[in-house]
Amino acid sequence: MDATARPAIVIDNGTGYSKLGFSGNSEPSFTLPTVVAVNESFLDQKELLSSANWIAQYNAGVMADLDYFIGDEALSRLRSSGLYTSRSPIRHGQVDDWDTMERFWQQCIFNYLRCNPEEHYFLLTDSPVGTPESRECTGEIMFETFNVPGLYISVQSVLSLSAGYAYLKSISDEDSDPSSDMTGVVVDIGDGAPHIVPVVNGYVIGSSIKSFPFSGSNVTQFVSQLLQERGELLPPEDSLDISRKVKEMYCYTCSDIVKEFKKHDKKPDKYVKHWSAIKPKTGVPYTIDIGYERFLGPEIFFNPEIYSADFSTPLPELIDSCVQSAPIDTRRALYKNIVLSGGSTMFKDFHKRLQSDIKKIVDDRVAATNARHRVEVRPIEVNVVAHPIQSYAVWFGGSVAASTPEFYEYCHTKEEYEEHGASICRTSPVFKGMY
Amino acid sequence: MILLQSPSRFLLQILQDRVLSGEKGMDIDCHAVEFDDVRYHIQLLLGAEAAFYPNFSMRNPKVMVLSVALPLPSPEAILCDGLPLDAIEAIKAAYGPVVQILDPPKDGFDLTMKINLTKLPPDEEQRNSILTQIASVREVVLGAPLKVLLKHLASKTVAPNVDKLVALVHRPNESFFLAPQADKVTIVYPMRFQDSIDIVLATSFLQEFVEARRTAALNNVPSCMWSPVPPLELKGVPAEALNANSGFVTFVVYPRHVEGKKLDRTVWNLLTFHAYVSYHVKCSEGFMHTRMRRRVESLIQALDRAKSDAEKLKKLVNGGSFKRLVCTLCK
Repeated sequence: MDATARPAIVIDNGTGYSKLGFSGNSEPSFTLPTVVAVNESFLDQKELLSSANWIAQYNAGVMADLDYFIGDEALSRLRSSGLYTSRSPIRHGQVDDWDTMERFWQQCIFNYLRCNPEEHYFLLTDSPVGTPESRECTGEIMFETFNVPGLYISVQSVLSLSAGYAYLKSISDEDSDPSSDMTGVVVDIGDGAPHIVPVVNGYVIGSSIKSFPFSGSNVTQFVSQLLQERGELLPPEDSLDISRKVKEMYCYTCSDIVKEFKKHDKKPDKYVKHWSAIKPKTGVPYTIDIGYERFLGPEIFFNPEIYSADFSTPLPELIDSCVQSAPIDTRRALYKNIVLSGGSTMFKDFHKRLQSDIKKIVDDRVAATNARHRVEVRPIEVNVVAHPIQSYAVWFGGSVAASTPEFYEYCHTKEEYEEHGASICRTSPVFKGMY
Repeated sequence: MILLQSPSRFLLQILQDRVLSGEKGMDIDCHAVEFDDVRYHIQLLLGAEAAFYPNFSMRNPKVMVLSVALPLPSPEAILCDGLPLDAIEAIKAAYGPVVQILDPPKDGFDLTMKINLTKLPPDEEQRNSILTQIASVREVVLGAPLKVLLKHLASKTVAPNVDKLVALVHRPNESFFLAPQADKVTIVYPMRFQDSIDIVLATSFLQEFVEARRTAALNNVPSCMWSPVPPLELKGVPAEALNANSGFVTFVVYPRHVEGKKLDRTVWNLLTFHAYVSYHVKCSEGFMHTRMRRRVESLIQALDRAKSDAEKLKKLVNGGSFKRLVCTLCK
């Protein structure tokens, strides 16, 4: 059986979570925290050790080399034994530790997906601001270590956009306007580095990419900070973990922060939630109240100054300036299709707030133009698309892309790699647009 | 991870999380491919689509169907109805009333089973163990003939086909061979790899493997041999089944290796020997790359230290090089 006859493997490595599965499925087979627990005892052994000792060294080294865990297993091992060190291969959306990344992939392929990498094409994802060198490194590991027959490194935002399209198509029977195909702004907020990426006809406008400094992990930190400042008795060793769960379960976006404060003050029993757990060290049960954090956490996207003094441009304003920096003939289409992607866009009513804020900025500008030049400009349609698969939109887009027959033609194959080397992975075709 | 686990994580996760959580109105339709071309297709059907299946009841309109495709058998392997010998009996023995085999299987698959979610035992521990069993369907089906042979060995009775070479499906178009005798079973694997580097690594891995067997601590494990030419046991096997590029590995299993609980583990480990070697070949490649990367880093550091001070000074504070600044000034 030829490798092209088997489904391709789609792996989306995010800063917080990695999504892995087979193309053609509608959801990833596994979603794992991108964490590796490594046993580093073999690193400490100096090569100077006498050669008489080599068998002991060899045995310890070989076993320690295989002695590591990823994902949820890694987290539980880290908690239960002091033998392992925690490593996150990806920081701020980019791989910074290739050794750990290689191991992470190894476990993903052999232990989770349990497939033979020589038998499948692979689709991996890369952040829109990823360096050519990191793509080269990815290609090198995939082709050299895993012997994959073909590899495609896709840009996350394009995949999110196509996931949005695929979703819209699945809920409405008639085809969407073909002229607007694959055009839109992707707002990608995960655990790592959030980006706002304009895509026109499938090509990324590289010069207009904007990044937002705060991500899901900052929301977590902010929630934990608020809880601690109010004097809730959080066990310090677990505070971030609990804040993350609080964020995922209770946080929501409000439309007006002042009104929301009043609502909470009037009916605390309706809005204040409670969290009960047992302290891991002492075994004493405790309860904490969750109040204003519920809406203040996601508020850092709309009023970043409440979290940090360094950056004060709200997300809607940044999206607006991103569209304004794109070529003028694409702006209407871009405003019309703003697609959300990444776990940190899953807060309730996030898209409504984003839509109304952007709409306000755009309408103000149109009104100002009308007043100054005494003209009547056609109103601009602003549309923020939300769909239930936002948390794994990139993976879903990858699964859709890799299940088309054309996918196998676009892949870098092993023959090409052996002929030209890792440099074939440097460039991504989506950046080669006309802009 | 040193040994591959028998239950498929993918199936286990779906069975445990999705089915038992009682999520309503969600149908599942997932497929997956494992090493050696074993394919799974698991479906949770609701409503009209489910009505085609036997024992459908309106009261519980949920049908879970699991289809499995096995690797393409090589000509010398013996099959009955596309499944390894004794597989049907093994499924019935392992799952009992929980699983019902559908005949004919779904298009493109070798086995289709309907899982009766209502017949799962109510006790959580028992339920989990049967779900784990279902997730290990690969071991049950592919390992069935091997298990029968080894059971004969454990009871030291003579199997009906004793002293005859048996070929069992192992990988697509490849099989491994068993020579059963009353007191021992000899198992021979022809090892094949595609990539030239893999061949070299696998060959040396296997030689080390045999070497490791000789250490004192491993006196009781099955004896193991490696040879570049087909061993004598394989006399009379067609030549195309013998073109192994990484040599032949022979294990001799004695009754003490298949006593009681050891039987299942032995079956699984023998069944996945090729996957085990290939996994470790990949791991060693990864390990070598790690070492190489570390070495390059240390060499670059050494080079950096060797740079003269004058070179370092050329870098200006703003990060641009001195040369470029001169060029812009000259323009």
